[in-house]
Amino acid sequence: MNNTIRLFIALALFSLTVSGCRSTVATTTEVVAIQLNAVPTAPNDAAWDEVPEHPAKLLLQDLVEPRLMKASTAEVRVRAITNGNEVAFRLEWDDKSKDDLPGPARFMDACAVQVPAKLEANVPDPQMGGQGKTVEITYWRADWQAAVDGRPDSLKEIYPNASIDGYPFEAKSLEKGSAAQTEMATRYAPARALGNRRVGPREAPVEDLIADGPGSLSPAPPAGSKAKGVKSDNGWSVVITRKLPNGLAPGARTQVAFAVWEGAQQETGARKMRTGWVPLLMKGAETK
Amino acid sequence: MARVHNWQLGREMSYWYPESRPNKQFAAVFDTNKCIACQTCTLACKTTWTSGVGQEYMLWNNVETKPYGFYPLAWDLKLLEMLDGQKWSEKEYEGQKLHTYEGQTIFESAPAGERVLGWRPEDIDYAYPNVGEDDCAGQVDGGASFSLQHMAQHMAWFYYLARICNHCTYPACLAACPRGSIYKRPEDGIVLVDQGRCRGYQECVKGCPYKKVFFNAMTGTSEKCIACFPKIEQGIQPQCFENCIGKIRLAGFINTPDKAQADNPIDYLVHIRKVALPLFPQLGLEPNVYYIPPIHVPHSFTKQMFGPGVDDAVKTYRNAPNDPDLQGLLALFGSSEQMMTRWRRQGDFVSGMRDDGSEAVRVPIKEPVHVRQPYDRLYQITRTNCP
Ligand code: SF4
Ligand code: SF4
Repeated sequence: MNNTIRLFIALALFSLTVSGCRSTVATTTEVVAIQLNAVPTAPNDAAWDEVPEHPAKLLLQDLVEPRLMKASTAEVRVRAITNGNEVAFRLEWDDKSKDDLPGPARFMDACAVQVPAKLEANVPDPQMGGQGKTVEITYWRADWQAAVDGRPDSLKEIYPNASIDGYPFEAKSLEKGSAAQTEMATRYAPARALGNRRVGPREAPVEDLIADGPGSLSPAPPAGSKAKGVKSDNGWSVVITRKLPNGLAPGARTQVAFAVWEGAQQETGARKMRTGWVPLLMKGAETK
Repeated sequence: MARVHNWQLGREMSYWYPESRPNKQFAAVFDTNKCIACQTCTLACKTTWTSGVGQEYMLWNNVETKPYGFYPLAWDLKLLEMLDGQKWSEKEYEGQKLHTYEGQTIFESAPAGERVLGWRPEDIDYAYPNVGEDDCAGQVDGGASFSLQHMAQHMAWFYYLARICNHCTYPACLAACPRGSIYKRPEDGIVLVDQGRCRGYQECVKGCPYKKVFFNAMTGTSEKCIACFPKIEQGIQPQCFENCIGKIRLAGFINTPDKAQADNPIDYLVHIRKVALPLFPQLGLEPNVYYIPPIHVPHSFTKQMFGPGVDDAVKTYRNAPNDPDLQGLLALFGSSEQMMTRWRRQGDFVSGMRDDGSEAVRVPIKEPVHVRQPYDRLYQITRTNCP
């Protein structure tokens, strides 16, 4: 069997599998953002059915320590819709377990969308950019989603049987909700005192970040990114909405990259499955 | 990986970052023979630093009974099992014993893709802080009393190991963090997690072999012992030192062996008299809490825990009653809340001095003994004296 025939068979099998489970889906080799009047925020919005899908193969993050040594999530299926100001990406991946309770040695299901901060021919390294080659990252996490969906930010949610004698900020001498009480509670939560966004209360399940290379991830000024993630028995479906990448007019192209963390495999930070750059085409209203 | 010098190993080793020693290095000596496991230190720390939401399970200071006590569960055994060939060699040089570690450190045996060799405790591993408390190594036969002789015969020994972060010269927590959120203060060598920068990846928790970084599920960041740096900055010893009932602890600063100063209490005990030894030096972190090993425990056990200097350390310590300087310095433990970075013995008294040379405290080496008569004439009652 020569290579061409082999390729044909492979492709035929591939389309069979694809058509087997979702008959109407057109797949594309790049992410094509279709322009609509409004971007849908819900993962199950009917608008997504009209949009082509890019199945992005996920690779191990095996370039910088700590690396991920065992592959987990194989693929993330991406669709995109823009309204000319914002772009929404729907990321879907297979995942049997829902990991959204934090704790020692417990990690969260998560995903992220990355774009170059500047539109230029010489793109940053897909692994979180490099010096002077900034990338913008929008990061979604399952426990933040649970919090936004109404799960109380309380230890009882993680350990329902926990019994706690008391906290200093619950002292009788401190008036409930008073400044003195908040001050006392903050004293024992230094990350909150420093404004670290790891700490709730949380308004959105996403955070805007920038990076200039591995290890340099830092908070970006909140850019109003939104997200909604829903877990089915088979996996996650997450819509991440962010403002259009800088200078990206309808009709233009840039690059986009994705990452997925499987909490059950203790994936966190650098230990993740990720894609390389994938071309992103912003369809204008006229090019629809 | 860079090549750095680790004097506790007697050799160079690999570390994630190049050698960069702080201007001063916070250090401590704990005398295991004096600890009574009252846990006052644990509570002093707990009420000061970890009374917040998400910190419930955290014990930055803990006291465990060896051999069966651990916090978290089996923290040392798990790693020792992963690290093979922990062999030391010994050479004589100008009448001094020189020990070299011939095995691999946790940095040198890091598996592919990792920065250090480590493992992750789960929440259940933290659920038994009192496991093995007061459990003997061996069986005590029915009716046997607890004389030292019996302990030797029956191998029925145990001892208390008080533990805090070692503010290591080569911290594994710091090496393991992929985003540089952990730093070692150049002014005193205290190792801190930047609570603004930490993203809660828990790589430090996995990397620290002593399991002295803890993940806080409610703040989403990792937290650890800060050596009460606000106190140290004011010349006062940390909470677990100041409140220690057994007076087992002395805080100070340590020099490298080539720069050891006889009037620096830590240098004197660690470098000059070699009576205080690091905890699991073979792991390669150059930890800076030094232990006077328990004298009644089989050396095969304490050698694995404190290194090859155990025989000599125990011999020196046992001889303290005939050794006025050593006995004198040991009397300084727990005698003042102040940081005493220098000391001096004058006759039957020993003084601890502050950085500027002023005297912080002066204590008699031997306290006067008062024998109280069972019958108290003043109150006309009889009291029982406990032996
Ligand atoms: S004992 Fe652990 S937490 Fe403390 S400095 Fe060393 S490696 Fe870091
Ligand atoms: S306070 Fe001192 S004597 Fe008591 S348990 Fe702690 S180290 Fe031991």
